[in-house]
Amino acid sequence: MEFFADGLKRGFELILGGDAEVLDITILSLRVAGISTILACCIGVPVGFMVGTTRFWGRRAAITVLNTMLAFPTVVVGVLIWGLFARQGPLGGIGILYTWWAIVIAEVVLAAPIAAALTAAAVQGIDPRVRRTALTLGAGPLRAHLAVARAAKFALFAAVVVAFGRVLAEVGAAMIVGGNINHYTRTLTTAVALASSQGDFALAVALGLVLLALALTVNVLLQLFQGRGDA
Amino acid sequence: MLSAAGLEHAYGKRPVLSIDALELEAGTATALVGPNGSGKSTLLRLLAFLERPVAGSLLLGGTLVGTAAQRRDARRRVTLVEQQPYLFRGTVQRNLLYALSLHGLRGPEAMQRAANALDRLQVTDLGEREAADLSVGEIQRVAVARAVALEPDVLLLDEPTGVADRAAVSRLYQTLEEERVRGAAVCFASHQLEDAYRWSDTLIALADGHASPVTPENLFRTVLPEGDGPKSASVGPLEILVVTDKSGTATIAIPPDEILVSLEPLQSSARNEFRGRVTRVGDDGRGGVTLLVDAGVDLAVHITRGALEQLGLHIGTQVVLSFKAMAVRVF
Repeated sequence: MEFFADGLKRGFELILGGDAEVLDITILSLRVAGISTILACCIGVPVGFMVGTTRFWGRRAAITVLNTMLAFPTVVVGVLIWGLFARQGPLGGIGILYTWWAIVIAEVVLAAPIAAALTAAAVQGIDPRVRRTALTLGAGPLRAHLAVARAAKFALFAAVVVAFGRVLAEVGAAMIVGGNINHYTRTLTTAVALASSQGDFALAVALGLVLLALALTVNVLLQLFQGRGDA
Repeated sequence: MLSAAGLEHAYGKRPVLSIDALELEAGTATALVGPNGSGKSTLLRLLAFLERPVAGSLLLGGTLVGTAAQRRDARRRVTLVEQQPYLFRGTVQRNLLYALSLHGLRGPEAMQRAANALDRLQVTDLGEREAADLSVGEIQRVAVARAVALEPDVLLLDEPTGVADRAAVSRLYQTLEEERVRGAAVCFASHQLEDAYRWSDTLIALADGHASPVTPENLFRTVLPEGDGPKSASVGPLEILVVTDKSGTATIAIPPDEILVSLEPLQSSARNEFRGRVTRVGDDGRGGVTLLVDAGVDLAVHITRGALEQLGLHIGTQVVLSFKAMAVRVF
């Protein structure tokens, strides 16, 4: 028990003392998670919109594929990306393996299906009159989609938050394609894994607390956003 | 202005509409009447270019509208107010300004147009109210104001007076009349035949997705037995004698002009005779009177004002309705 309490105490001291290593890892994690989420949503949200609002042959199969991809094992994605960008792989010439860009690519592959599936579910739940009304008032297809997006904005925002959470908390793929290199590809989750395997419980706790604080912040922002919308 | 030819529509493999020809001319009002499920809403959505027919053609201003781009352009000239209209989140005024912005109208001009439209529907006081706080009737009036503000070439309305009180109904139809005078082709679906007759130049009755060949009152779905000649058609508790060689599912129509009203049973050749009670007395839109008689099912009957006074009919009067089996149309 004393070991646990000491670890927590030292963890808080590291955070409050502005430990350079913790700060460095946090900044890199936020950069990777932010860019990955933006890219994943740029791909996933339009795909989800199309699947959710358009009738086309194979639509149900597409929804099944998207839902299956939600459960894609992260280490499998990591291995596949590693195989693609390894020196002997088909894209080895690009030379981005063991850079944070490789982590971004892996996280995009993992988060885009989340954004797509949740977007599809969100727009499918919107009253079909929203789109019809926009169209009959003279909106083109894009503005009609924007009207639907506006009606579904809370669910869409939640999709973005969930995608961000997935990216921020992911460890398997980041470890495989990033290599967990200090000051270079070490993210909060890979650092926690390393610190705990090295027995540095205090650092692992400190980084874990930062992760929790980030998750809390994002959810508080979501609550504030929804609260303002309801007012 | 807007014409349709050979219009066919289906949901899956189920056919829901088949209209040979339809013309909505500029400066005219057309009423669509018919029972629930007769295809009125489907027809309006096709005419509004919100759904694509499985067959047939639609021409707007004499030009065929077929491609996606043509349909998009056509929707800027044709506006539909649905039976249960949708208002976007925000105030009533914002709803109107949004619609106007889709037509490139912003600033003072848009504000003026929105204010005029709200004033015409007598809902100016709702301008700053949140759409989510409005009653169903208010939503309907605001939706009509939003459509009118766009000054469309073709204005389509699906049961625009469904939940409105009589004063609001009158104001709404007067607004539609103003739109007609402006030069728009107005087309509305209505359950109220009096309103349909009164406010339209042309009345189209729909039954089972087809234009009915007879007047729209007293249309019933029934199943006819096999065989030729007189046969009995069950309509609610009534057994109506009809003469037809049709069998199976069919629509029967009893023209209101062919029904005799009396206070006692008549000695006549009429094979159908039912007792009932007058439940409504109204203007038929043509100078006569429409009675609604509850005879187990509601039957509409057209009589003259002289007959109404002579028989002393009023709501609650017990009457006998008589009509010949040959008078019943089957299709």
